[in-house]
Amino acid sequence: MTKHVFEAALLGLSCAMFAAGQVPTSKISRTPGGTPDLSGIWQALNTANWDLQAHGAEPGPDSHVGAIGAVAPGPGVVEGGEIPYLPAAAAQRKQNHKDRWSADPEIKCYMPGVPRATYMPYPFQIVQGLETIMISYEFADAVRLVPMKNPGPAPADSWMGWSIGHWDGDTLVIDVTSQNDQTWFDRAGDFHSDALHVVERYTPVDANILMYEATIEDSKVFSRPWKISMPLYRHIEKNAQLMEFKCIPFSEDVLYGNAGQREGSK
Amino acid sequence: MIEMKRTVFAIACLGLLWSAAPGWAHHSFAAEFDENKPVKLHGVVTKMEWINPHSWIHMDVKGDDGKVVNWSIECGSPNTLFRRGLNKDSLPVGTEINVDGYLAKDGENKANGRDVTLGDGRKLFLGANPDADK
Amino acid sequence: MMVRFLGIVLLGLLPAFGQNWTAPRTSDGHPSFEGIWTNKTITPMERPKDLGDKAFFTPEEAKAYTQAARERNNKDQRGGGVRDVLYAYNDFWWDSGTKLLSNMRTSIIVDPPDGRIPPLTAHRLAQLQEQAEAIKIRCKQPGCAIANSGQLSPSDKPEELDLMTRCISFGTVVPMMPSAYNNDYQIVQGPGMVAIDTEMVHDVRRIPTDGSPHLPPSVREWIGDPRGHWEGETLVVDSTNFKGETRVRGGDENLHLIERFTRTGPDTLLYQFTVDDPTAFTKPWSGEIPMTKTEGPVYEYACHEGNIGMKDIIAAAKADEKKAAEQAAGKK
Repeated sequence: MTKHVFEAALLGLSCAMFAAGQVPTSKISRTPGGTPDLSGIWQALNTANWDLQAHGAEPGPDSHVGAIGAVAPGPGVVEGGEIPYLPAAAAQRKQNHKDRWSADPEIKCYMPGVPRATYMPYPFQIVQGLETIMISYEFADAVRLVPMKNPGPAPADSWMGWSIGHWDGDTLVIDVTSQNDQTWFDRAGDFHSDALHVVERYTPVDANILMYEATIEDSKVFSRPWKISMPLYRHIEKNAQLMEFKCIPFSEDVLYGNAGQREGSK
Repeated sequence: MIEMKRTVFAIACLGLLWSAAPGWAHHSFAAEFDENKPVKLHGVVTKMEWINPHSWIHMDVKGDDGKVVNWSIECGSPNTLFRRGLNKDSLPVGTEINVDGYLAKDGENKANGRDVTLGDGRKLFLGANPDADK
Repeated sequence: MMVRFLGIVLLGLLPAFGQNWTAPRTSDGHPSFEGIWTNKTITPMERPKDLGDKAFFTPEEAKAYTQAARERNNKDQRGGGVRDVLYAYNDFWWDSGTKLLSNMRTSIIVDPPDGRIPPLTAHRLAQLQEQAEAIKIRCKQPGCAIANSGQLSPSDKPEELDLMTRCISFGTVVPMMPSAYNNDYQIVQGPGMVAIDTEMVHDVRRIPTDGSPHLPPSVREWIGDPRGHWEGETLVVDSTNFKGETRVRGGDENLHLIERFTRTGPDTLLYQFTVDDPTAFTKPWSGEIPMTKTEGPVYEYACHEGNIGMKDIIAAAKADEKKAAEQAAGKK
């Protein structure tokens, strides 16, 4: 009899707490060793890839497809609002913006670099192993292998950079150097040099939400470091999977000079 | 004893008749360079691009007329060299090199690095350890 | 049914483990394949016809073969003509292996017993011959060039060139086969997931082991759609949904690839595969590669981003076409 009363009281207390918003949401996945396990399929839900800074809706590059190709608006993901370009770099950004429908490396299906790969409008998958974390991106089948032990210096620059990971409490911190200067941060022309240094922080706030922050430093382009942040959401649908988006064929007309000449050309 | 030796010899000889090692792992160089137009170049490195699928060595070549022309030489994947301990600083600007290759079909000052040596004829990338990854 | 039988046959061929060694475990308790592995070797894919049913080298034969192969594969040997151009560059750029596989076999292929890929079906042969005929006719006109096969092939449009030239995929992924260099694969495992990154061309195979179904048959992918399950210490991977362009050794889109991964020691991983493609091959065929751990890292191979050669090939083909058109106009 006492047992039932006790259980009823516990239930009553839980309900009260739930009503007050104090019952914790689903627990963070952890490895047997206790660190968070970030394995799974994640995706950003914002328009950072169009433009990191706040922007309204705009026409897209091809009026024939009307609203389909148009630029979706967004309140921006840059902490403080503005990207702090040095004066000469600001002029380059302006030129990039003007040329964006031909100069954006995304058009050519080039690997997007870090942090852009995180907020492309395609999912990515984290596979957390014991000594290495793999981040596999659907866009262009880009991939990063993040060792949790320092592998030494990069032998040369690369598109997805040289990553080294470590844990800071429950946050996965990835230090990224040696990216080449060929990628952009978004479709609006935001860019960097080969001096780019990115520090990413992935913090689980819930079983299905990561808080993502990236600090960007590039003394050739920006007057000070700056930061972006956004939630990343887990794909929880049954049988979620990345599919093949090897976009090379979609870029070949543009790259090899046959653009607009497919029908009736020799 | 003689029988075994004969089989061993036969195996060795068969090797010579077979087609080359597994896979090419790159586009056909015969589609890009002209086997009827061999070139021999001597000059100095101005830049090396450590990129895939092929690295490129850019070099200044002084012609018989005294004019300096910049050539682009298509080479192999840098990843193979990284595994042997080399990196982007391993071929400094100003290094004297010889290139023996074939001219690009598209009419540009381009050749493949069929055989690249240092100015004095020694092997390029002497510092590389071919067994580093074994 | 046939395929299950082959699976059992292959299991039987597993070398005996050291009594005291078991594979380390992943965080979710499965055998770990984590690490960087290489499959580079001088063992040929197919057994030379002259060796008949001889499946293994004796130590003396192995030594002779190895020496001959090392000499034969040295790209610093010059000849002339097209072959010399195809050899491309110095030997230090190549890294296709200098040793036979540790299993001392005369071929990677272990079944059929002659160690060779079985004949194509009449239907598939007819399809390929029709394609070859069409190419022959096309290449009577300018805009073709010699491919790695040694044959003339159209080279004036991206979609006419092969998947390797376009940097879409090399033949190193499905099945995992060695090639000229960069023969490295990194395996990372998470709960219910085994991921394999092939260095060339940064292809990632994400293999769920959670029982999820394949994609519907209407969706086709170049490297197929893999699903894995555990059979004791062995990971069995089943891949379907291939595009026809993937064309494994002349195969077609009906490829059903079965692979088995088993740790056999601290530095070794046994890789076995069966190509089951009944519309293309008269029999399934299977191969085996004992892979070895290598230091790594796996480097980025950003192929498409640096594909200047493809621009050059297309430019050369178009220059040919332009010249021919001018000559024809001049004649009129």
